[in-house]
Amino acid sequence: MVAKFTNSQGELRGMIEEQRRTIVELQTPVIQVWDSILALPVVGSLDTARAQDMTEALLERIVQTGSEIVLVDITGVPVVDTAVAKHLLDTVHAARLLGAEVLIVGVTSRVAMTLVHLGLDLGGVTTRTTLAKGLQFAFARLGIEVLPRSNGTSSHAPNKLTT
Amino acid sequence: MARVPIVRVGATLIATVQDELCDSDVMLLQEELSATLERTGVHAVLLDLTTVQTVDSFLGRLLNDVAAEMRLLGAQTVIVGIQPAVAITLVELGLNLKGVTTALDVDKGMRLLQHSLRVHDLGRM
Repeated sequence: MVAKFTNSQGELRGMIEEQRRTIVELQTPVIQVWDSILALPVVGSLDTARAQDMTEALLERIVQTGSEIVLVDITGVPVVDTAVAKHLLDTVHAARLLGAEVLIVGVTSRVAMTLVHLGLDLGGVTTRTTLAKGLQFAFARLGIEVLPRSNGTSSHAPNKLTT
Repeated sequence: MARVPIVRVGATLIATVQDELCDSDVMLLQEELSATLERTGVHAVLLDLTTVQTVDSFLGRLLNDVAAEMRLLGAQTVIVGIQPAVAITLVELGLNLKGVTTALDVDKGMRLLQHSLRVHDLGRM
């Protein structure tokens, strides 16, 4: 009986360890969405260790790709409290020191309300409600214009770009 | 003792840090920068920290001070080439260098300065 119990406990531990590894692998994708534009989707809650990993991965990629604008997407973050806001701000400030401009996108009305309620302002950080709006801002900043094709017919070909 | 060369290129002073700096080196750099700025009357300073791997609170605070001093002397400072580890350390020390402009490398920094110098010139005309 006792042996059986310890055995299943060991199994459980193994499972937890495996899942933890999966989470670590999943948590910090830094995506290059355009020349000089990176996106960092944050999904799930943000603790100190995760925020540090995220910041390190982001800074490495900024240097690697020579990116000038970073969009941190917090659509997938369920709760933004003081701790999470601090982590986000630390990431923003670190990236800014490298010379990249960071936008926080995916700020929902609930998150905005919480932040105001907590008396936190994301001082000086540009925020947008959606990733698309953030991308528009980034394009404007880099002098890129995305236009529909002049013949007006829609196709699945990518939009014409003028820089 | 590592002396940092200060080079004038057009209307910009470029200081490239080539070695890890001790406190007295940093203070010497600060003095030389303001002296050179006063003598030459340029409007822009570019500080290249690409090779700096470690930073302490003293250097961090001094970077802030240098930028503030340059502003008082009528020049704009751009710090370029801050390494990821250095950036993380500075943030952990609570030094966000709020008033300092940063850029990824010398090239981007120069473009930034040229742009703002143009704006500056237009403002004076």
